[in-house]
Amino acid sequence: MSQRNAIGVDIGGTKILAATVDETGSVLEQIAVATPHSVELVQAAVVQSVRTLLTRHEAHDLGVAAAGLVDHHTGRVRFAPHISWRDEPIRDNLAHALRGDGITSVTLENDANAALCAEWRFGAARGRDHVLLVTVGTGIGGALMSSGQIMRGTNGMAGEFGHMQYAPDGRPCQCGLRGCWEQYASGRALSMQMQSGGELLTGQAILRAANDGDPEAQRAFFMVGQALGLGLADLIAALDPELILIGGGVSMAGELLLGPTRSAMSTRLVGGRHRRVADLDVVALGPAAGAIGAAELARGGAPSL
Amino acid sequence: MSSAIGVDVGGTKIAAGVVDSSGLILESLKVPTPAQDPDLIVQTIADLARQLGASDSVERVGVCVAGFVDRSRSGVLFSPNLSWRGVRLREQLQEALGGEVVIENDANAAAWGEFRFGGGKEADDLLAVTVGTGVGGGLVLAGELLRGGFGVAAEIGHLGLVPGGELCGCGNRGCLEAYGSGTALVRATRFAAHKDPVAAKRLIERASGDIAAIDGPMITEQAQLGDEFAKTQLAELGAWLGLGIANIAAVVDPSLVLIGGGVSQAGELLLQPIRDSYLKALSASRHRPILDVKVAELGNDAGLVGVADLARNSIGE
Ligand SMILES: [Zn+2]
Ligand SMILES: [Zn+2]
Repeated sequence: MSQRNAIGVDIGGTKILAATVDETGSVLEQIAVATPHSVELVQAAVVQSVRTLLTRHEAHDLGVAAAGLVDHHTGRVRFAPHISWRDEPIRDNLAHALRGDGITSVTLENDANAALCAEWRFGAARGRDHVLLVTVGTGIGGALMSSGQIMRGTNGMAGEFGHMQYAPDGRPCQCGLRGCWEQYASGRALSMQMQSGGELLTGQAILRAANDGDPEAQRAFFMVGQALGLGLADLIAALDPELILIGGGVSMAGELLLGPTRSAMSTRLVGGRHRRVADLDVVALGPAAGAIGAAELARGGAPSL
Repeated sequence: MSSAIGVDVGGTKIAAGVVDSSGLILESLKVPTPAQDPDLIVQTIADLARQLGASDSVERVGVCVAGFVDRSRSGVLFSPNLSWRGVRLREQLQEALGGEVVIENDANAAAWGEFRFGGGKEADDLLAVTVGTGVGGGLVLAGELLRGGFGVAAEIGHLGLVPGGELCGCGNRGCLEAYGSGTALVRATRFAAHKDPVAAKRLIERASGDIAAIDGPMITEQAQLGDEFAKTQLAELGAWLGLGIANIAAVVDPSLVLIGGGVSQAGELLLQPIRDSYLKALSASRHRPILDVKVAELGNDAGLVGVADLARNSIGE
């Protein structure tokens, strides 16, 4: 049996998802725990999850995906929005802690980059080389691939799609600016569209309401889908991908969201009649994509980064 | 060592030159573009290349054009200034010249020229912005020209900045080009001069009293003399460009932006407003290294030099 499993761990703001992944990208087993608040406890939770997985399946490669500004060369997380990591040497810490458990290599990658690797290798982006992943959750994040390579940018900060300026002097954003795209085209924007009753509804509740025929909820998806499409047209002007994959919680709405997205996108496209335009699709791998991609990167099967 | 021929086909003139492997132009020619006759343009390109020694001493020819070039770098999908639609330029030129020809978008070629031989030699990730009639862009990421999935990446002039804003030549409203181009600068300045002829007094004098005669070089020269009105006009142009650049920075995170085109001769009078506006529009600007904004170094030759280098490097591709 030359089968080589690897472990992928996705450290998100609310939960840590650890999975044993085989060479075909299938998850053999996965564990999810709530993300603790302190840096030490996060690390301990990752170590514990990996050890638990190792009791059932052998693996030597560990890939870690983390939200935030990741320096994959040095294996450090320079900055993370939800965890107080400040230039934390995660890779080396984990390698040290898990050496006795048979883990011989650890790689660290940004979560969106890892998810795009997974989609490229096993999911909706197979066979495509110029791909954007746009993750529409509470905010908007993403990753980009050109000629089969993940583009990280000079400081590893490429893919901050959510903070493109969408409306001058528009809605205030958590980042301190006004008018960022994610204030118009994310899960948060969806909730704000529904705020007539005073209380903020979750994306899932709005989706349920829309599917039950609630016109206000349907309108919220229409508005958000439209804003998503207009911003995507800018990304197409800048990057000209052949495929745009929409991921994140809001993408579960499917055509309810993507219908308005497509039509807004095509009205805004430059030279639309003279060019081929990116396909728009949703991700195939679901919430485990980050862990699957991290495992694949650890195994060395993903694109050279 | 080995030289190549670069040809830059613009809306008004075609420039061609023999470029050596260090990016130096050894010999060059320039003729007006017969813009109304697509076939004649192709002939003219071939003639220039032949005069410069194509098909005998120089084997590689690169041609850059303003317009969409397809992904296989063989045809021009659309070029508004040259009335080209779906011209199979590479095939036609290879037939005429009997050698390898490489086609590239002019802004991409300029970005590549700057990356290889000009202001971008030290950078791995750069954005080159050409501010002229429109706003062109070229991106080099991780040391490679970003062409995109269908060959038309880095069309930054058509980023939408103002919902429902000024009409752009592309048919959309609110594009960067409608606010951040040389054309937009002249239009906005004339408008402002009408509104406040007292403040614009010196500039109007420079245009011999005719507001409609104010052009780009006049604005730049007047600003360089310290004229506040002209400086304000450049500052507003810079503010729009900075906003567009911030959006690109959020997406691809370059370390350097090079500004080319006629208006870039205003130097710091344009660059400082670009930097200020970029910083204001950049998310998490305190948590990240700030990119450099500089004037492009190769001037009008960037496209020609860049596409010659692309042609030379295409051996074996
Ligand atoms: Zn923001
Ligand atoms: Zn436009």
